[in-house]
Amino acid sequence: MIRLVDATKAFRRGRDVEVVALDAVSLEVTKGEFVFVVGPSGSGKSTFMRLLTREQVADSGEVWVSGKNLKKLRRWKVPLLRREIGYVFQDFKLLPNKTVRENVSFALEVIGRGRKEIRARVPEVLELVGLTDKAESLPHELSGGQQQRVSIARAFVNNPRLLLCDEPTGNLDPATSVGIMKLLDRINRTGTTVVMATHDQQIVDSMRRRVVELEDGRVVRDQVRGVYGYGA
Amino acid sequence: MARWRYVLVEALAGLRRNLLMSFAVVLSITVSLTLLGASLLLSEQVELATDDWTGRVEVSIFLCDDRACPAITTQQRDQLEADLEANPVVAEVFYESKREAYDRFTRLFADQPTLIEAIDVATLPASFRVKLENPQLFGVIRDQFAAYPGVEEIVDQRDVLNQFLRFTTLVRNAALAIALVQLLAAGVLIANTIRVAAYARREQTAIMKLVGAANWYVRLPFVVEGIIAGALGTAAAWGILYGTVPRVTRDLAREVELLPFIGVDQVVAIAPLMALAGVGIAALASTLALRRFLRV
Repeated sequence: MIRLVDATKAFRRGRDVEVVALDAVSLEVTKGEFVFVVGPSGSGKSTFMRLLTREQVADSGEVWVSGKNLKKLRRWKVPLLRREIGYVFQDFKLLPNKTVRENVSFALEVIGRGRKEIRARVPEVLELVGLTDKAESLPHELSGGQQQRVSIARAFVNNPRLLLCDEPTGNLDPATSVGIMKLLDRINRTGTTVVMATHDQQIVDSMRRRVVELEDGRVVRDQVRGVYGYGA
Repeated sequence: MARWRYVLVEALAGLRRNLLMSFAVVLSITVSLTLLGASLLLSEQVELATDDWTGRVEVSIFLCDDRACPAITTQQRDQLEADLEANPVVAEVFYESKREAYDRFTRLFADQPTLIEAIDVATLPASFRVKLENPQLFGVIRDQFAAYPGVEEIVDQRDVLNQFLRFTTLVRNAALAIALVQLLAAGVLIANTIRVAAYARREQTAIMKLVGAANWYVRLPFVVEGIIAGALGTAAAWGILYGTVPRVTRDLAREVELLPFIGVDQVVAIAPLMALAGVGIAALASTLALRRFLRV
């Protein structure tokens, strides 16, 4: 599903300071896996996620997602790649003037899906995330946890093969976070690969899934049934 | 279908969101295209006038009538006419008597009785009116016939025409120059509008990109927004020309009888060209602006 080979990405800060965000990272994630990417701020988690959606391109090395070499991917094919990826943000990024149903439908409308399909699929996903009765609510009428469920519904409505979650519980209290994790776990069990960048030690420890730890742009740990920190 | 409605709805929402800016864009396109259309119409007018003028007389050979020189004899006149007709440079020749000259003059200045009162049948000289195979060959005629007995003066009517042409060309070029500068300003305004619109919709755009909306689909509402503004401005400009030009030329035609004037037909005829310019500049400016302000 995902394969990085010596992927390196550096950014310029100012005139001659170069910050290496990812330093020769090699990593493989197979289909159906659930992977936590952990590490302190600035360790390269965000850059890692952005390479996968091809918001950024690696300076050197290879990045493969869903059988595509992203370095060689034509610009006009990038949208097609992204249709195979669902993306969940820390701050939800819902459109404030659209209802829950419209926010989820939007993701299908803009990729040209028919109205019939949208009418059938959206209620299914809203049921999956447990928001059937909130379909006509506006985002500001919902709690943080509910908004994040909408965001997940939007990411998953197109049945992506890969779900990328960037700190999805970062803005939520622990009890709500557990609910979100259960939802992500359920989505993972449908065969969807889930990659989740997080700071949340408790969640990582309780899930006992694969943990990839980044530090200064390098993979310093890759455990199959890991916890957040060493010796925890 | 839903996608096209989305594009249109978003474009209109964008125009409404920044109403003052949209107004500025429409206004500047209107000014620019009014001037552009006016200069096009002036070109049409010049062409129409030249066709008519050059199609008629190019050279007038005025004949002596005892005022400046001894009156031409009938024999001299016949000789002159025969020589003119035999000349290969001459395409056509006809004689205008003093009577005919006076009639034409009174017809021309019918609304200026004081002018007509000042002259009588004897005042205006008789003349040969000559049309040349090639209007440039005036020199040949002058050199050959100026010394003929009974010829008072040979006038190149194109001199008069050329003055008129120089003036209209000047006006047209000035209008064209201002139109182009204004068109450039309109383009910059559109680019700025698009930038504001792209900023206002940046979250929506970010989501569209991440869920995999096609690049053209992300961009289209912005381009359509520019095109709608361009089309509105173009329509207004054309409306202004349609409302004024035929009326002005009708008034002019009443004053100046020698010339044919353009009318509604020509204004209608330039509509596609104006639309092309107005909508074209809008589409171009939006596309360039998006390349800058909306990376996809």
